[in-house]
Amino acid sequence: MDDGRPIFQQIADQIADGIAAGAYPEGTQVPSTTELSAFHRINPATVGKGVNLLVERGLLHKRRGLGMFVSDGARASLLAARTAAFARAYVRPLLAEARALGLSTDDVHKIVDETADERSTP
Amino acid sequence: MTASTHDLAPTATHRLPGAPSALDVVHLQTAKRFMTFAVPLLTLALVLAISGVVAGVFYQLGSRPGTEEWVANSRNNPGVLWALPGFLGYYGVQSVATTFPLALTLGAGRRAFTAGTLLFHGLLSAYIALVGLVLLGVEKATDQWFVGLYLMDVVVLGGGDPLRLVTVLFLGSLAVMSAGAAFAAAWVRFAARGPMALALGTLLVLAAAALLLASQASAVADAFQLWWLAAAAVVVIALACAAEHLLLRRASVR
Amino acid sequence: MTRQTPLAAAPAVRLRGVGRRFRRTDALSDVTLEVPEGVVCGLLGRNGAGKTTLMSLLAGHGQPSSGSVEVFGADPFTHAPTTSAVSFVRDDQRYPDDFRLPHLLAVAPRFHAAWSTERAAELVDAFRLPGRTDVKKYSRGQLSALGIVLGLASRAPLTVFDEPYLGLDAGARQVFYRQLVTDLAEHPRTVVVSTHLVDEMEALLDRVVVLEGGRVVRDSTVDEARAAAYTVSGPAAAVDALTARLPVLASHRLGGLRSATVEGELTDEVDDAARRAGAQTGPASLQELVLAHGVEPEVGVPGVPASAAARASEGVPA
Repeated sequence: MDDGRPIFQQIADQIADGIAAGAYPEGTQVPSTTELSAFHRINPATVGKGVNLLVERGLLHKRRGLGMFVSDGARASLLAARTAAFARAYVRPLLAEARALGLSTDDVHKIVDETADERSTP
Repeated sequence: MTASTHDLAPTATHRLPGAPSALDVVHLQTAKRFMTFAVPLLTLALVLAISGVVAGVFYQLGSRPGTEEWVANSRNNPGVLWALPGFLGYYGVQSVATTFPLALTLGAGRRAFTAGTLLFHGLLSAYIALVGLVLLGVEKATDQWFVGLYLMDVVVLGGGDPLRLVTVLFLGSLAVMSAGAAFAAAWVRFAARGPMALALGTLLVLAAAALLLASQASAVADAFQLWWLAAAAVVVIALACAAEHLLLRRASVR
Repeated sequence: MTRQTPLAAAPAVRLRGVGRRFRRTDALSDVTLEVPEGVVCGLLGRNGAGKTTLMSLLAGHGQPSSGSVEVFGADPFTHAPTTSAVSFVRDDQRYPDDFRLPHLLAVAPRFHAAWSTERAAELVDAFRLPGRTDVKKYSRGQLSALGIVLGLASRAPLTVFDEPYLGLDAGARQVFYRQLVTDLAEHPRTVVVSTHLVDEMEALLDRVVVLEGGRVVRDSTVDEARAAAYTVSGPAAAVDALTARLPVLASHRLGGLRSATVEGELTDEVDDAARRAGAQTGPASLQELVLAHGVEPEVGVPGVPASAAARASEGVPA
């Protein structure tokens, strides 16, 4: 669990990934701070900070005495945010690498189509 | 001193729930129940057994229980005096040398530690005096253990006088343990130099006293009263306790 | 009972200008730092940097030669309730002759108001500590495990661990980390832990204090410490050119490759220049930052040499 970013951010992203993938459906409870701490062997304060990040973004909400639950609309909002970030996060680095290799945009299109075909016909 | 429990709110004030007391230190000192309370009994039983062997030798040599010679030889046997101090001295040293660092690790304050350790020494001394008293009773009731053995009814323990026996055992035990603890405290405080300096100092004081009294040795011997020994023991105990307190008051744990 | 109510704002630990002299050597010099209540603070530095001395002062086991030490607003050396609010099992802890585990477990609750019998039992079980062996005959790993039992189950408001992993295998260390964070989640308190296993324990820490030669060279949150440096790695010539005017903390060469740890925040300018030169930039790990302060991990520390080598080779163009 280390890609160089602050650990609380990584915890937040991991829970967000779970919500986006449907592992934590809306309205269900996410693991408690204690569970997350014990599982990852991470300082509980750091876990709390990561969870709070998601509360601030409206993805999680606290039910007193029960724990943290996934808010309604959390998955949709996460997917929207990721779609918006898709170009920056994936397409730009792809094009930068293509340029470095001397590939044209058309070449890239071709490779993308070919790769998609390979995956759909295993 | 008890832990205060009135702080329910998890605020800054919940943090210091009160320090361990001298009584807690007594519990630490007596954690090894068997070692603390059974070993003195076993030691005395061993003395009795050895006395039996020695008596057997005398018997082979022609001495017979009940005769004047037999009684005099047996009652002058100071077996108890060489058996107990070794054990008690070890206990005095041990109760400070290794228990002090553990007590502080567990969170005891220095004052509570010293008070609790002195209390423990008093407790163990009282226990030994009590054991001696009970054994003296058994010894008398069984007519010298049925075979003419003398364990408690000996000259050094007051020749069968229960009050003297209790006084000698209590003050003697306490003096030996306190002295051991004082030397251990010197070691805790100043490492190897501590006990050496303490021994040297004690030696010098004794030498000076001997020199001073040498000229009047016969007068002193004539005036000698038994209670002087008791008073001397009390002085030794008081000095050793004061030394232990002063040495540990600012001692670091190493 | 004397009872001192500290200011609510008082940090768990406050050291002001603390020095500690042993004969002719200064174990600590002018140490000023605060540890807020409720955090886990890592104490890093090479052997002899003053870590154990500092922890002794926190526990009231020793007194500073100069300056002042406050724990929860009071002097842990003289104020008995404060002494008892700290748990510090030394790595060379002395135990009385013939003491066994059951003796310690029977006595410890009297000394720590918040002692947890369940936590102690769970840890004894997890570490498989023998009850019928004299504690003095314990192996290095068993002594460390015993220290962890006494420290963690004490739930002392300030718990101090001095390299608690010595002699423990990887599995036992994971037991410690898991039990530590679980217990802290349920019963928050302040922890100070010295370690050379920076990579392994980084995620447990909120703050780090780095000591070098008895002085504090870094005192910050872990996130701040990680943001305080970055690495530039790639062909040696390129890295040398890129970092020529930058404050390089440490630099390692592997064949034609070089990895440099640079102090400061990574700017876009440097990032772009590095990419154009065929070099890579990345966040420095806490371990790298600590290494940059001259703190060498001990030989055989798991993970460290491998990861350092891996990082150095990341710049290899495929």
